[in-house]
Amino acid sequence: MQKKEAMSRKALLMNIVITIGIFVIATMLAIAFFHYSRNSTSVAIIYILAVMLVARYTNGYVPGVVASFLGVICVNYVFTYPFMRLNFSIDGYPITFVAMTLISGLTSMLTTQSKKQNQILNEQEKFLMEAEKETMRANLLRAVSHDLRTPLTGIIGMADAYLADSGRLTEEEKSYMVKGISEDANWLLNMVENLLSVTRIRVGETRVNTSLESLEEVVSEAVQRLRKRLPQARVQVQVPEEFLMVPMDAMLIEQVIINLLENGVYHSGAEKIDLYVVKKDKEAVFRIRDYGKGITPERLEAIFDGGGTEENPSGDSHRGMGIGLSICKTIVNAHEGTIWANNWEQGAEFVFTLPLREDTGDDK
Amino acid sequence: MTNKQTILVIEDEKIIGSYIETILISNEYKVLRAMNGMTGLSLCTSHHPEIVLLDLGLPDMDGMEVLQHIREFSNLPIIVISARSQEREKVEALDGGADDYITKPFGAEELLARIRTALRHRLHAGQGQKHELVYSKDELVIDFERRLVTLQGKAIHLTQIEYKLVSLLARNAGKVLTYDYILKEIWGPYADMDNQILRVNMANIRRKLETNPAEPHYIFTEIGVGYRMLE
Repeated sequence: MQKKEAMSRKALLMNIVITIGIFVIATMLAIAFFHYSRNSTSVAIIYILAVMLVARYTNGYVPGVVASFLGVICVNYVFTYPFMRLNFSIDGYPITFVAMTLISGLTSMLTTQSKKQNQILNEQEKFLMEAEKETMRANLLRAVSHDLRTPLTGIIGMADAYLADSGRLTEEEKSYMVKGISEDANWLLNMVENLLSVTRIRVGETRVNTSLESLEEVVSEAVQRLRKRLPQARVQVQVPEEFLMVPMDAMLIEQVIINLLENGVYHSGAEKIDLYVVKKDKEAVFRIRDYGKGITPERLEAIFDGGGTEENPSGDSHRGMGIGLSICKTIVNAHEGTIWANNWEQGAEFVFTLPLREDTGDDK
Repeated sequence: MTNKQTILVIEDEKIIGSYIETILISNEYKVLRAMNGMTGLSLCTSHHPEIVLLDLGLPDMDGMEVLQHIREFSNLPIIVISARSQEREKVEALDGGADDYITKPFGAEELLARIRTALRHRLHAGQGQKHELVYSKDELVIDFERRLVTLQGKAIHLTQIEYKLVSLLARNAGKVLTYDYILKEIWGPYADMDNQILRVNMANIRRKLETNPAEPHYIFTEIGVGYRMLE
């Protein structure tokens, strides 16, 4: 409350200062004008202009209305005979004054109103954007809880079975269970890293902090990390011969590459996967190609929209990459790049681009 | 039994601490454990461990502080345990005197390799002698005396700066070197430059030493931190 009061007092002061300032300037102009032409009509017009300006640059109706009265009084007092005295009874003048009051009052009201409408529109837009973000967040949360619950069920189940074992499980079965726990835990870790990368974007509000990174270093680190997680994957990588520096948040782009590669390995069923990066015009183009069945047209359309609950063809439901792909899209968009999916002769292909900027000044 | 090397583990999380302890004990190390920074420091002064594993997130004090305190009186190897996504923290720790870092979650192999590397480098430094005269790994051989680099038996031509870079990394093989450290070592302490020149040079080296620059075999990048050469 106190803050609001202080704000309004400050606003009031600002209004007074602006009104007085504009009137001083208008009066000076009017005096100069009057000195040459002796025409009080032009003087009145100068004051109407002043009233409009006051309405435009102050808040609320009051300053505009006050200004219009002030203008009428000024014209009467200073610029009409008898000078330096108020006299509203001169022939014809009452009408002039009434008209002037009306004109200035109306303009001030119109200006204030249009200002108010603008404000309302802005607020509505902001509200809509907030709502959209809220929906995105809700969708993400829903997908997350689904994708987290499945591996957790596996981990808890296998751990319970292991603990409840009364000596009937063979060594082989036991090691199979622990391996399952380890696999699911790794999957969870990947998920958590994805979520962490989302928070990195949220902090900066849709844009990310980029710095110039060596493209091949980012690619090689991403591939290295993928190999650690999926030793069976056979990744073939190719980067441009030319040394490229690309503005990006390296950790996020790494996440995108890993998600797409991992997605390809899981969904194609084949362990072979290619990653090509080429420079095309002012963009770096990343292509991830798998050797699987490809993507059905229905799925292609909404593949990046976080449809995490959809059962995938292999029936291995917790490998649904719903969140992973929607996070890829968020990240690439935040870099002002584009991402899309399509099929090529031997399987599915995911492509994303990052703009190469000329500026090199934002390097750490 | 007496020649077992002692490792001090300063880690507040019980499960991770026991996990590390299990790995280390089964690999013939003696383990001291501290759950917070103060205990860690006093154990460090009283027991003189050979190496310290330090978690940066401790309940009582900042891990960086512990690092600084230890460095005030000892030069023993310190490996920092940190969470991923905090490159800044890793770089600060390395430039603040840590020998290496390991990222959570890590496997047993990775941890043991880091410990061996740190111990080995400390041994060399302690003896005050020159490092090995030759780095040899797979197809790559670097002869430090003759300043000669060969790959699959063929001599590789490197520029002056490139050779300095490769030999610096090779002498510290297995250990991560930060951008700042490398820049200072190669271009001198007063060189005023960003790490872009370093990355351009590394790209050239990669094209000369690696079959595929996108899949390096000898020199690895740790984005945001620095470079590490195959040990």
